[in-house]
Amino acid sequence: MSGPVPDLAPLATSETEGVPGRRRSWMWPGWGAAKRVPLLVIGLVLSALIIIAGVLAPWITPYPEDAGAVVHPTQALLSPSAAHWFGTDLVGRDIFTRVVFGARVSLGIVVIVLVVSAVVGLSVGLAAGFFGGWLDAVLMRVTDIFLAFPALLLSIALAAVLSPSALHAALAIAFTWWPWYARLARGQAASIRRQGYSDAARILGASRTRQLVRHVLPNASTPVFVQMSLDAAGIILTAATLSYLGLGAQDPTPEWGLMVANGQPLATSAWWVITFPGLAILVTAVAFNFVGDGLQSVFDPKRGQR
Amino acid sequence: MISVRDLRVSYGGTVVAHVPEFDLATGQVLGIAGESGSGKSQTALALMGLTRYSGGVVTGSMKLGDVDLSTLSSKQWRAVRGRQIAMILQSPRAALNPTISLGTLFGRTLKLHGVARAERHARMEQALAEVMLHPQILSRYPHEVSGGQAQRFAIALVAALRVDVLIADEPTSALDVTVQSEVIDVLRNLRESHGTAIVFISHDLAVISELADQVMVMRGGEVVEQGTTEQILREPAEQYTRDLLAAVPVIGRTR
Repeated sequence: MSGPVPDLAPLATSETEGVPGRRRSWMWPGWGAAKRVPLLVIGLVLSALIIIAGVLAPWITPYPEDAGAVVHPTQALLSPSAAHWFGTDLVGRDIFTRVVFGARVSLGIVVIVLVVSAVVGLSVGLAAGFFGGWLDAVLMRVTDIFLAFPALLLSIALAAVLSPSALHAALAIAFTWWPWYARLARGQAASIRRQGYSDAARILGASRTRQLVRHVLPNASTPVFVQMSLDAAGIILTAATLSYLGLGAQDPTPEWGLMVANGQPLATSAWWVITFPGLAILVTAVAFNFVGDGLQSVFDPKRGQR
Repeated sequence: MISVRDLRVSYGGTVVAHVPEFDLATGQVLGIAGESGSGKSQTALALMGLTRYSGGVVTGSMKLGDVDLSTLSSKQWRAVRGRQIAMILQSPRAALNPTISLGTLFGRTLKLHGVARAERHARMEQALAEVMLHPQILSRYPHEVSGGQAQRFAIALVAALRVDVLIADEPTSALDVTVQSEVIDVLRNLRESHGTAIVFISHDLAVISELADQVMVMRGGEVVEQGTTEQILREPAEQYTRDLLAAVPVIGRTR
């Protein structure tokens, strides 16, 4: 090799100085950034508690059998007490037990909706944005048709056609949810396709498939993931709405929206029957919103305070 | 090594670049100079077989050894790109995927081109030494390296892939002057140690003259002047070349 003796240029840049050996990943800006957004920490803690409560429901609830189809006529509509923290419902089931089990149902619906709509939305959006041309036009017009209907009405109509159950409610919601992700992913993919590193992959001999999977997909999906965290709260509310209308989970499933609907006639005589499931919906929706909003602030310095 | 005859790149019937001929031997450097829109980058894309992806058409012949590149299918092109011909781009950091570390990128690229796992590490280290980068850079992500480091890393990839022809499209234009000369040095090393033929594209004749054996000056899609670097610099025939040369600052000369 000719030229001067290799002088191994120092690698430290202003960004990495002071954090020797620290791995900074693109996925997670680190706890330092998270801690500057207190709502994110609160949201994460609350969400974690809700998820843990849901998972551990059979072991931490006093009357796990009350989550199912049991009836205790002698204990109907007891007000909150040491034995029944949240009181009991019309057929004598412990409401605390049912609220905790309800976390499983709601979280399950959220997971199904997010997974189904992310898979469909990302596939459609990436294909449209990456390949462009007529495929883009066709896929995006189909997406537009879905977006043209009011989402909730479309979900209600679909849920009404299917037999009512928690799973069908989730599918009905996913049916109207994916077009948003498709739009988002399409815009990202179309811009990333024109980035230097996308060209560079071609130049180094990568195939179209590799270019799409290794370079466009990871970069296009980050905003979709952030959007998903923002949407979790909306899905919980939509699922509760469907159940409340009798189009989602059916008794004896301990679904919060359904519990509110069943307790409504009793609102003046037994306030606890609707209050605690209602609070569960509120707290979960707020917690997930904090997480989504906080993540967006962390990932996007232009938005929100740092 | 590479010889081009009557190469035309057109979009919708309009010819945007026309190169009558050039021949480039192993270890030689061809400089293509010209202003924006002169057709120099379109020539580069045609040499990479990438014109079709932006909707253009290439006619004429481009021979790499005995293979006529202009007759290759997309699949055949893929075997040529990164193995026999590679290209480095103007903005080196934008050419790196922000979601993967340089080491991952390097490893995957070598794997894609069939370098055995056992050999990959040695190839990477050797190539990084050639471009004067510390192997530690492999653990970095693109946002953690400077523009000069990124461009040298790109050249290291090319060195490790042992391509025959490197197309450098404005490789120094986005870098400041001291970093420019680093990149030029590294390209010079690449040519001397591997015999890589280089097509060096720039609007800056001063940079081209540091490296090139022959120079081609383009304007408005046509080649206006072509010859050895000596000829072009000493006795430019065309007024346009003289204008480009006049734009080159020379220490001690007053205008």
